[in-house]
Amino acid sequence: MSPTQQLLQNADLISQGAEAKVYKAYLRQLPTSGQARNAASDSPDHEVLEPVLLKYRFHKQYRHPSLDTSLTRQRIAGESRALMRCMKSGVNVPGIRMVDANEGVLGIEWIEGKSVRQLLPGGAELEDINELEEMDEVDDTDATDALAEYGVSRDALMDMIGVEIAKMHSSDVIHGDLTTSNMMLKKKTRDLVLIDFGLAYYSTLVEDKAVDLYVLERAFASTHPDSEPLFSGVLAAYEKRTGKNWVPIKRRLDDVRLRGRKRSMVG
Amino acid sequence: MMETYYYSQFNHAVVHVALFDDVTNSTAIRSRIIQAARILGVDGDTEREAINFAFIDARLISSLLHLQTAIYQALLSEAQGQLRTKTIHSEILWALNPTNNITEAIRRYGVSDASTTLIVIRVDVSNILDVQRRMCDIVQGSMVTFEALKQMTDWSTIKKHYKLDAEPALKEVQGKQDRERAIVNNIIVSSVAMKNVVA
Ligand SMILES: Nc1ncnc2c1ncn2[C@@H]1O[C@H](COP(=O)(O)OP(=O)(O)O)[C@@H](O)[C@H]1O
Ligand SMILES: [Mg+2]
Repeated sequence: MSPTQQLLQNADLISQGAEAKVYKAYLRQLPTSGQARNAASDSPDHEVLEPVLLKYRFHKQYRHPSLDTSLTRQRIAGESRALMRCMKSGVNVPGIRMVDANEGVLGIEWIEGKSVRQLLPGGAELEDINELEEMDEVDDTDATDALAEYGVSRDALMDMIGVEIAKMHSSDVIHGDLTTSNMMLKKKTRDLVLIDFGLAYYSTLVEDKAVDLYVLERAFASTHPDSEPLFSGVLAAYEKRTGKNWVPIKRRLDDVRLRGRKRSMVG
Repeated sequence: MMETYYYSQFNHAVVHVALFDDVTNSTAIRSRIIQAARILGVDGDTEREAINFAFIDARLISSLLHLQTAIYQALLSEAQGQLRTKTIHSEILWALNPTNNITEAIRRYGVSDASTTLIVIRVDVSNILDVQRRMCDIVQGSMVTFEALKQMTDWSTIKKHYKLDAEPALKEVQGKQDRERAIVNNIIVSSVAMKNVVA
């Protein structure tokens, strides 16, 4: 078995999507006591390994194997490049820790924290496998409590979301799948971190940025009750950060909303 | 002080890394490496085994994570039969350099006459005896903990090699040294990790 397959085998599955399985894993192991004695090195016993998140784009049976491998490779290259572009632009995203394009695995920094979805009312229903165990604990009061525990107000959270998206758009990265599941609040630093760049791409077009925002607006509306004031908070911070480029994006966002409504009226 | 890492997924590879300060014989180490390649017969094999390590100038290393990431990607390339260089040890140097130029990687990240701080790495299939002593036999200097790396890192050269000076992320934190270093570290660790897929 290949090294990366072995790594996956010893990892904890945390979510399974249509394109990828996501795991928590460790890239190396602490020594067994026998090894530690042999090594004659005083590698600290108290050493704590940092986990990583592994995103495994598994093979698609219906695709030709070599086409599948090259598509997977492109996706991983694309996701890595988007993350790198964000990092260089000062957008909070996880760092990259390991890439095995042959096996379809991208390893990124583990963010200890909660998704924004879990931190807002309505988002507490089952989101990933881990939460199965926590089921009885989750309801809306928990979302509010969790946010309070982080010492972050709901308004401040919306503000951070707007700022990170504005930074990302000003570096011409379009996320492609903005939802409250794809952003996390980091416990240690209280930073808002954007995740899941699997559908991200580069574009300078106002249309693409407006659609990105519209997708998030829809996600808020479908997941979180009474989301309008929340999303206005996001847009206000986005506007402030975006400055003079806001007007055309705002105009286009109104267009996109109108198109969306017409489409839903036609059915 | 020497650190040892265990990787069961790479046929139980064991990697030893040590940091040396106040190194006085870098010129001699460099010529030993060059000479060893030329010696024939059993003597050559013995000498090549004696210096079978990666020697890295600590100035361009920003953190242990930086080093560990290069080691990991080199182990992966070796396991997949895709080494770009002759050995796992030179592959670590290749992984550290932002370009694909192997000579440049060795010139920048390898031991040079001017090196006074060195990181020594040995990748093996199992724990070998006396690694630490063998490292100390080669390097004249003092082995120190990786805590000391912070004082050795040459951040401005790193930023130059990775062309980071004009990046918005750095401009935003101008004057805040700790923040800037954390960002630079994150960018170069990530660059090392993704090198295989963009190269
Ligand atoms: N860097 C990370 N650290 C911790 N958890 C993460 C990280 N990235 C993703 N997750 C968790 O895993 C879930 C799935 O990851 P994601 O990248 O969104 O993949 P998918 O394409 O399957 O949605 C996320 O919703 C989040 O809960
Ligand atoms: Mg997702």
